[in-house]
Amino acid sequence: MSAWGWGYQALRDGLRSGRTAIRTFSRFEHARQRTHIAGEVPPEGSPSAPGSWPRLSRADRYALFAADEATGEAGLRAPLDEPGTGVYFASATAGLHESELYLAAAWAGGKARSGLLASQQLNGPGDAVARHLGVTGPVLTISSACASATLALEAALRDLRSGAVDLAIAGGADSLCLITYSGFNALRAVDERPCRPYRRDRAGMSLGEGAGVLVLETEAHAERRGARPLAEFKGAGASCDASHMTAPQPGGEGAALAMTRALADAGAEPDDVAFVNVHGTGTPLNDVAESEAMRRVFAERSRQVPLTATKASIGHLLGSAGAIEAVATVLCLRDRELDPTPGGGEVDPALALDVVLDGPRPVGEGVALSINLAFGGANAAVVFGRWAAG
Amino acid sequence: METVVITGLGTIGCFGTGRESLRAALAGSAPVLTEVDRSAGLHRDDGSRLAALARGSDLSPWVRPAAARRMSGPSKLAVAAARMAIADGGLEDTAGGWDETGVVISTAFGPTDFTERLLRSIASGGPETASPSYFTESVANAPAAQIAIECHARGPNVTVTQREAGAVIALGRAAAEVAEGRARRVLSGSVEEITPLLHALLDRFGALARASPGRREAARPFDRKRNGMLAGEGATVVLLEAESSAVARGARILARVRGAAGGFDPTASRVGWGHGVEPLAAALLHLLVRVGLHSGEIDLVVSGASGSRAGDRLEAQVLRKVFAGDPVPPVLAPKSLMGEYGGGFLGAAALAAGGGDFGATEGFDEPDPELGVVPHAGGRLAGGRVLVSSLAAGGAAAWVVLEQP
Repeated sequence: MSAWGWGYQALRDGLRSGRTAIRTFSRFEHARQRTHIAGEVPPEGSPSAPGSWPRLSRADRYALFAADEATGEAGLRAPLDEPGTGVYFASATAGLHESELYLAAAWAGGKARSGLLASQQLNGPGDAVARHLGVTGPVLTISSACASATLALEAALRDLRSGAVDLAIAGGADSLCLITYSGFNALRAVDERPCRPYRRDRAGMSLGEGAGVLVLETEAHAERRGARPLAEFKGAGASCDASHMTAPQPGGEGAALAMTRALADAGAEPDDVAFVNVHGTGTPLNDVAESEAMRRVFAERSRQVPLTATKASIGHLLGSAGAIEAVATVLCLRDRELDPTPGGGEVDPALALDVVLDGPRPVGEGVALSINLAFGGANAAVVFGRWAAG
Repeated sequence: METVVITGLGTIGCFGTGRESLRAALAGSAPVLTEVDRSAGLHRDDGSRLAALARGSDLSPWVRPAAARRMSGPSKLAVAAARMAIADGGLEDTAGGWDETGVVISTAFGPTDFTERLLRSIASGGPETASPSYFTESVANAPAAQIAIECHARGPNVTVTQREAGAVIALGRAAAEVAEGRARRVLSGSVEEITPLLHALLDRFGALARASPGRREAARPFDRKRNGMLAGEGATVVLLEAESSAVARGARILARVRGAAGGFDPTASRVGWGHGVEPLAAALLHLLVRVGLHSGEIDLVVSGASGSRAGDRLEAQVLRKVFAGDPVPPVLAPKSLMGEYGGGFLGAAALAAGGGDFGATEGFDEPDPELGVVPHAGGRLAGGRVLVSSLAAGGAAAWVVLEQP
């Protein structure tokens, strides 16, 4: 679920196109903001709605749609009420947009509908998915800013390996809201044009919204039910810069540590990496820190490892960014081609990296690394590989 | 797999600051409650007036003034509790080894004061008046990040947001980080602030206890006439490490983490509890099997029962199902003392494993025959093996088994 539309095929087609879905938007008034664009989910394409749909926040709806699509594609049908099925979700905003509507009405002395608040909680989207699918196993929501979903994927992986679960619905959902839009504008972290990660003239990020969900299961569980895996989830790693609330370490030490830990967890070496789906926000500081991290991990090879930045196409989904970027990464592995990174212009020569620019590029053998760096210095990375039998 | 132990506890709540303040409160001192500002008019007319706030605590020994100036209330509370836990564990955060220290913190609602201030500013003055510093500290993971910054903790940094089950989920995940070798130590806990606005919103949903004819306002866990919870704020952080490392450095061990698990009740509403006794009991029984225990080996239950009508009913039904006809062991229900949220409950659980004097359950007057569970009536408890139970509004549930080493 993204600014490209409802469903993963819309995302896949949009990413392959090399264009951006970041444009002017209508969710809320933005005339007095510095910027006027975002990756807004289009209204069309709403699925057959569950009965509770009208009462849910946008983030909840995005979560339910993506979870329904993912479980449907996986050949699963609710209720998923085996105790070995869990939900591992992420959100940074959840129903904050609906809370804003409630409070605006309440503070203006008007009638405020309490139902708007019921999904405000950060656990709202994950709980909605669990409730909708009838899950009775563990349910976890992580809200560690932009690393949330990647950390949720890691949590699912840990529980799959430990045997706590054998099937995990993992992902994240977020919606555009006034507070984050105004906050990132106040920080002057957003670009007036669609973001241009790794470009010489990059000037900030673009906000987006949507959801991404992956069905993860142990190989044994997939074999038992005759499922055909899309990819292997090989490893994960996390770290914290422990240095600043908003700025990443300029030398990329923390990000490199998360990447190194993820590769080690996957039993892979840096030379095994076929491509990286970078955090790639397009802010001057992020892209420098991330490129330094790449140099720490890949050394001389950092100039040759192909990179893609999903955010250039759909914007930054904040807490759920890692989920939809994991979806994009898995689809690139499946289709053996890497998405281009829209934005135009030349790659910043100071960063000296191989950013895939103009069109899809064939992917060589090896694993894929997807990384997210967050407010507060939380870093998280995941490693996917092609399914051996795929 | 390493065995994981708790070697330090830092806590701040309505009971004061530090482990001994919490212990004294659990032994029977009266809760210190605060009248909440209801002037905004968002509360129910007959709604709650009280909260267990942590406003009187002096955090200056634990949070540098220069750092405190850029922090939200929850960040200050969390950093102070983390530093307390480190000191309580006999360590210094300036010593080596913190690169491999993780932070796993839960919060139900995040930094609500800064979020409200930010939104009010935008609503009244336009988006150009949004404060970057408020925004930076309004994110849910700000407290965990500030702990990492102040304590140099460069391991995994995770913020769990799963309402009332968050603290126990965080503890379970933190223990796994140590047990599986991804972190040498983890600072884990919970933090919350209760603002008048959040208090009013909880009140509007009918979540909070209120006065009734002949009865003062109080949370009454498992009581026949319970009518809601007490909103509480504060921060509690425990220091987790491998038992082998704790023993090697001669650390005092408060409790060993035997195992943790989660479950979900899909019959729950978005803001309430459901009736899914069977799946929750099955998940809890599965945990006991996984850690090689049967229910008869549990010495004490530290229950997250808060005085909620539906939540306490579900909690009691799950416990009765799991203990399957055997007497349910003594049940501590400390949330009526320090309130829901802020992790005081987690601190109580960590202390309970070691036993001690525990006062009568605050607010409890009359057993509810429908529940069949009666909380602790006061007196000394031996400790031992403790089942910590936490069922959240919205459906999530989490349990952890702690034991005396």
